[in-house]
Amino acid sequence: MSRLILQSAVSGLLVGGMYGLVALGLALAFGVLKVLNVAHGELLMLGGYAAFFAFTTWGLDPFVSLPLVFAALFALGVVLYQVLFRFVTRFDVETRIKNSLLLSFGLVLILQALAVRFFTADERTISTSYSSMGFTVGLVRIPLVRLAGLIVAVIAAVALEWLLRKSRFGHAVRATAEDWTRAALTGIDVGRVYLVAFAISAGLAAMAGSLIALGYSVSPSIGLGWTLKALIVVVLAGLGSMRGLVLAGLFLGLIESLAAVWVGGPYREVVALVVFILVLSLRPQGFFGRAHV
Amino acid sequence: MLAVEALEVAYGDLQVVWGASFEVPERSIVAILGSNGAGKTTTLLALMGLLPSIGGSVTFKGESLIGVPTHVMVERGLVMIPEERPTFATMTVADNLAVGAHARRARALRDQSLREVLEIFPVLAERLGQPAGTLSGGERQMLGLAKALMARPDLLVLDEPSLGLAPIVVESIFDVIRSIRDRGVSVLMVEQHVEMTLDIADHAYVLELGRIVADGTSAELASDTRVRDAYLSP
Amino acid sequence: MCNPVRSLAVWAALLGVTVVLGLVGESQRVLTIAIQTFMLAALASSWNILGGFAGQISLGHAAFFGLGAIVTRELWLGGMPFVLSVVAALVVVIVAAGVVGVPLLRFRDIYFAVGTLAMGVAVSLTIGNVRPGVSSLPVGALREYTFAGPYFLALGVLVVTVVVSLWLRHSKLGLGMMAVRDDEQAAGAIGVSALGHKMVAFVMSGALAGLAGASFAYFSVSYYPNFPFHVVWTFEAILAVFIGGVGTIAGPVIGAAFFVVGRDTLPSGIGEFQVVMFGVLFIVVVLRLPGGIVEGAERLLDRSGLVRRGAGLSGQESAGATDEKGV
Repeated sequence: MSRLILQSAVSGLLVGGMYGLVALGLALAFGVLKVLNVAHGELLMLGGYAAFFAFTTWGLDPFVSLPLVFAALFALGVVLYQVLFRFVTRFDVETRIKNSLLLSFGLVLILQALAVRFFTADERTISTSYSSMGFTVGLVRIPLVRLAGLIVAVIAAVALEWLLRKSRFGHAVRATAEDWTRAALTGIDVGRVYLVAFAISAGLAAMAGSLIALGYSVSPSIGLGWTLKALIVVVLAGLGSMRGLVLAGLFLGLIESLAAVWVGGPYREVVALVVFILVLSLRPQGFFGRAHV
Repeated sequence: MLAVEALEVAYGDLQVVWGASFEVPERSIVAILGSNGAGKTTTLLALMGLLPSIGGSVTFKGESLIGVPTHVMVERGLVMIPEERPTFATMTVADNLAVGAHARRARALRDQSLREVLEIFPVLAERLGQPAGTLSGGERQMLGLAKALMARPDLLVLDEPSLGLAPIVVESIFDVIRSIRDRGVSVLMVEQHVEMTLDIADHAYVLELGRIVADGTSAELASDTRVRDAYLSP
Repeated sequence: MCNPVRSLAVWAALLGVTVVLGLVGESQRVLTIAIQTFMLAALASSWNILGGFAGQISLGHAAFFGLGAIVTRELWLGGMPFVLSVVAALVVVIVAAGVVGVPLLRFRDIYFAVGTLAMGVAVSLTIGNVRPGVSSLPVGALREYTFAGPYFLALGVLVVTVVVSLWLRHSKLGLGMMAVRDDEQAAGAIGVSALGHKMVAFVMSGALAGLAGASFAYFSVSYYPNFPFHVVWTFEAILAVFIGGVGTIAGPVIGAAFFVVGRDTLPSGIGEFQVVMFGVLFIVVVLRLPGGIVEGAERLLDRSGLVRRGAGLSGQESAGATDEKGV
């Protein structure tokens, strides 16, 4: 019995790392542009497919193709911003959120439909030579690819944090996120900050997708499920805070896994929902957020 | 340096500023006075491109500013410090100053600007690592000024710099403004504090309900009976 | 502002036409399209009560549609008389909406939207886990299957939904909801309980969606039980509402008709691109024409001088327009 619990805990932490990575991109877009992109999971899905086809067509190992996949979805992010989300930034924050929510909802079904059309509805997994490798620590088995995913997630979070704190662009991003009017008055090209931030968020989604295609699987319909987990993580960490996203992700993954052992597998999705409601009701600013948003 | 002619600004259907004309010559402090609701902030926001203007012309150093994005204005040397939230509260003092030099024209001189600015405001040097939100009102106003100076402006626009500050603090801020002018930066300030402002301004305009109703040198306005009765305490 | 006599006349005429069609119509294809339109229109109208009148954007609407469907279906196929099954389903949905609404409605805007989305996806996935097998009508029922029953049930549910919407629009309750939509704090200041009105809107909206789900269960021969829970139903409902005109009464119905008929008449070679097209149309509406078809029609009629301003198809101005403020 305790072996089951330990294994569940480890599995939960590993998938929690993915939750955190997905949340990173979503939080960036929301924190900077104040835009809620529920199609984030679809971008993740497309990234996963990109990595999958890079592997099956050119034999590129997913870790090698990571920067390529990032770049590809970065480009798509630029297009989506220019064509779609740019128009939403005209409005004030409340309207932005509502409109971007609706807009990206439309994007969800468009991208899903296109994916079904071009990739078929089959589940795909990237199977490399090391896909089934893992190591056993005590009673618990740790799959190599999933652990690698967790490590990448942590690296990405640290890199993003460094970018935001230390670089000139990072300062501009933080300034824009806090107050875009003041940022413009400081000489910051707010439109360009929005564009790049959104594109980075798409790239991050793609990276997550790539790792998910390797460690789990991708199919056209996985988007919303991951977006949802990411949204819950963002709320758990605190809307507007970038720090602690990976930690909140680990927390969610762990709780979800352990609770699933208790209530039974088929009901595990409800756990995340309950966690969401509980945290929001008891501590609306999340673990790390400020009392005001 | 800055010439505004017949500026008209409206919020949707409601016109708020009518035919405002004023100018700011080089090396001078020009004030726009008026009570609450006169349209002072609206005029400044329209000037900086944050509100659309529906008429009139704005020329800065010979070039028109109509339709120019706000951040480009900063590149050209026109910097404004807004009334509320003059700083980025979640960022440290040091980061605020760093981002102040974001514009290309200011980037290369960042270290030099930083030294100059810390000379003018020594109190900031002690608080470099603190988040700006933890500073007192006066210190935040100073940080706002310092940040604006990091952008190496040719013309500084101030929206009610004295708001919510104790008189002693206001005096020191005004001293700084005077020294800024002496260093060759023109200043356009919008204020409610008529007496103190006329003290440092070279030229002033009075804005009432969206229209300029008086303009002249400080001396002229101080002795103008209408202005005295309406704005100066007995 | 409102021209109730004119609106009622139009609705009555429409009702007459659809009833006649149900009685004499022969073409299976036409009847199927009609039933699908009624169902989507009812689902869309019910969403509109919460989203258009009360201003709360729910992304989990399909949960109630699915719940109504599954309770009806399981009880009915299990031997309970159909009408009783529907009543039971209605009760279940109302209770569920009440239970879920209590925590969720305390959240404002985006948290509410995300919460409902989470609820919708969680329920959808869970049902998929718990009831993976197909639900099919037994052979006996299959042989006796006619379109008449499902047609008039679906039509009936739509009529009920429209009548409720019409009543709400002109009632104090409805005005309270719209006050909450426009400015929650201001509403509170004049004594309109925001939470109370949101709760009522949520339960009414869910209940009517549940009824639409019952009509789905009656109409569909064979399907996977988690299908009516799928987020695509929520999306199609929202699509119909916005394309037709959010906050109006005719809007959701027009939008649903437009969507279902459009989807059916498009050449089959286009396949998934239909979704793309409708998605694009939706996006265009959100960005450019927030009042949807109703607003578009009103503008056209306005310009042609045929109709006096304000007495549009539904007799009212469209709501839910977006605000452009500040920078």
